[in-house]
Amino acid sequence: MLVNDPESAHWPVDPARLELVEEFRRAPRGPHSEALQKLLHRMRWSGVGRRHVLVVLEPNRRWMLARMPGQRGAPIETFPNRVFTSLAEAEWAVFVIRWEALTGTTLQDKNPSA
Amino acid sequence: MTDTTAVLGYAWPLTVSPGEAVRFHLSSATLQEAEATLLRVRCADPDPDGPGLRFEVPGTPLDGRVPLRHQPLRPGSCGIVGDAPALRRAGSFSVGAFLWPTAPRAGAQGIVTRWRDDTAQGWRLGLDAEGCLEFALGDGASTWRVSAPQPLLEREWVFVTAAYDAEKGELRLCQESLDPQAGRSRTAGAVAAGPRHFAPPAEVALVFAAQALETGVAPLTAAHYDGKIDRPRLCAGALSPGRLRALAEALHPAPGDPGLLGAWDFSRGISTDLIHDLSANRLDGWLRQTPARAMTGANWDGSTQQWTERPHLYGAIQFHSDDMHDAGWEADLEFRVPRDWKSGFYALRLRAREGSDDPVESFVAFFIRAPLGQARSKLAFVASTATFLAYANSALRLDQVHAESMLEGLIALSRDDVYLQEHRELGLSTYDTHSDGSGWCYSTAKRPVLNMRPRGATFNYGNDTHIIDWLEQTGQDYDVITDEDIHHQGAQLLAGYRCVVTGSHPEYFSRAMLDAFDSYQRDGGRHVYLGGNGFYWRIAFHPTLPHAMEIRRGMLGLRTWEGEAGENSLSYTGEPSGLWRANGRPPQRLVGVGFDAQVFTRSYPYRWLEGARDPRLSWMVDGIDLNAPLGDFGLRGGGAAGLEVDRVDPTLGSAPGMVWLATADRLDYGGVPTLEELRTLHRGAMGDQNARVRADIAFTPTARGGAVFSTGSIAWACALSHDGYDNAVARLTGNVIRRFLDPCPFEGF
Repeated sequence: MLVNDPESAHWPVDPARLELVEEFRRAPRGPHSEALQKLLHRMRWSGVGRRHVLVVLEPNRRWMLARMPGQRGAPIETFPNRVFTSLAEAEWAVFVIRWEALTGTTLQDKNPSA
Repeated sequence: MTDTTAVLGYAWPLTVSPGEAVRFHLSSATLQEAEATLLRVRCADPDPDGPGLRFEVPGTPLDGRVPLRHQPLRPGSCGIVGDAPALRRAGSFSVGAFLWPTAPRAGAQGIVTRWRDDTAQGWRLGLDAEGCLEFALGDGASTWRVSAPQPLLEREWVFVTAAYDAEKGELRLCQESLDPQAGRSRTAGAVAAGPRHFAPPAEVALVFAAQALETGVAPLTAAHYDGKIDRPRLCAGALSPGRLRALAEALHPAPGDPGLLGAWDFSRGISTDLIHDLSANRLDGWLRQTPARAMTGANWDGSTQQWTERPHLYGAIQFHSDDMHDAGWEADLEFRVPRDWKSGFYALRLRAREGSDDPVESFVAFFIRAPLGQARSKLAFVASTATFLAYANSALRLDQVHAESMLEGLIALSRDDVYLQEHRELGLSTYDTHSDGSGWCYSTAKRPVLNMRPRGATFNYGNDTHIIDWLEQTGQDYDVITDEDIHHQGAQLLAGYRCVVTGSHPEYFSRAMLDAFDSYQRDGGRHVYLGGNGFYWRIAFHPTLPHAMEIRRGMLGLRTWEGEAGENSLSYTGEPSGLWRANGRPPQRLVGVGFDAQVFTRSYPYRWLEGARDPRLSWMVDGIDLNAPLGDFGLRGGGAAGLEVDRVDPTLGSAPGMVWLATADRLDYGGVPTLEELRTLHRGAMGDQNARVRADIAFTPTARGGAVFSTGSIAWACALSHDGYDNAVARLTGNVIRRFLDPCPFEGF
């Protein structure tokens, strides 16, 4: 049986590389540098911090932050206070959560790119 | 936020001809009623950046209030043998079988049982909650049981026996590991006290892979088993494990043996839902919810990959506690389609709580076909029902950890997805794994399918309606025929049309479907393929049950699960499955292009090649600027070339007479080649360094004035409506269809 192992994502994340954070903030939907591609793969493959997802509130207009329960059949956890009006904004919000979970460091400026 | 799941249903049959009746089987756990409206679907994609949801309302007697009720879904497959005198014998008896459990710790599971749970009478051989083999007898007042001292190993063959010895008043269990070395041995036995007298209850079915909750020939069942059962035996007398093993090893135990009560051979009737007893008692039975057949038995030795060659090596059935073939709901509405109705994509819309914060709008899709011999248009659009079924209730984005990486961004779940996460009883798609991790190889339409309907996930059904929307917009009349119609009626169905259009993703094809298109093309037919990743997997439709398909993924191709060794032939037909490329018929051979890559970062425009300036094809590019990129717009990633893309390759069958018109070969790092495109592993295979990762547009003249035009991209369909339908993608598509409908042969070819 062939299985996928999210724990196998092991690209080492360097908390000092804040330029990758800035690069993502500027262009959450890409295109991205090689190093940022690797950082995103680390985040997306492993789903660090339990896998965050979006729930569509209005097709292609509004999305709510949510998190997978990690188990089939269990309800999806939703965060009704965190609603986004663009996918880029949502990508940035989840990036911040994952960066902080992966590096153990807090980002001083959590605002999306203007 | 629109509630799309408060009421669900399915249409049966899924496809009807004018004059025939379609029934709607509905259920709601919360609503007492809904407002029903029958619709002809023009666009099923609610994206406000595109055409949006668009329907015609023909007005039918069905429209109006429909009372609703809750109809449960009862997943889980099992085998059932109706009660019979041979099963009611008093006194000692014994049971033996080879097992390959796939989720032994998932909860109590029945394996071979003759038990009614409502009164706790009968006997059952199964697994307890810890995965230990357990044999129990009950007379309603008392229950006697014996358990093995250690749990079974997941996915390891074991031969198990249970015996009730009335003379000694004992229950005995034995398990023998077939590969006992290197820590795998779970060989053990156990004995416990049992009654001296035990009379089996009456009217209780013998059940494989579950236990009955009640009496009767078709009882409700519970405690469904996940795993394989191979060569079960039921005998009079408390036989030794060695004797039972010999009876199981013997493929044809002597039927004259009066002690042999039942000896089931699951390698017989593999394409059916019947199970066969080799004993003189003829304790034949049937299967519920379609467990997997043509599965390797404990004796499979690698000497064949094909169950039809040595069926006795395929005596196992693999049961799943979540198998779902037939919801079994009662019908709530019936509609006889007027004879003068147009074919098309149709749906029953159900609305409730209108005007509230949480309005309900749920759809039940069905198709009205243009019947064989009754074409009303020169153009046919194919509803890719094989593909719709293959993806039916896909939980890929919920369950598969690679989904976010593959799709290059956050997963956005619809209300349907959120519901499916909690309601696995709907049954999943052939992209998914069962709760035990094994792949789903069957899919049917006899259950609600969330992603084959308006407002559902756009992949496939929704994207295809962009083509319908564009046909309607341009005033082009068309008939709708379905994959299953083509499978059953063959080339003669296609031959009724001057031009046949396949949609954004005709990925799943049976041999009969492929033969039909091949014959159509060779007979002067004109085929327009407006998609990507088409003609890719080899499937079968069930020989007798409608709207049921099967795929075996094998070990090649872009597969979300991998088939087990030896299990890659279709149980429905005995044919090999897997990629058409591995079956000697790559997509390039049929349509000039074939699947090569995915690209989900964004979509791209094509650039025109020299072939586009071929004077023989000037009609095709009329009104199009060949110096400008083609399709730098679209609803899927901002381009016409994207999602899944196909390329020209003469070594895979693109024809010498083909004209290569355009390519999108700069797909950057997001262009990821499919697995079968790589001979050896090396870096640099992605689209930023590899021009074989691309989408190609090709025109191929075929015999007798026929032709094929292919766009090689799933995203194509969702670029048609750009800029008020006035754009180069729409113009090229229109030029092709207009010319393909003109019977004049193509000059110069």
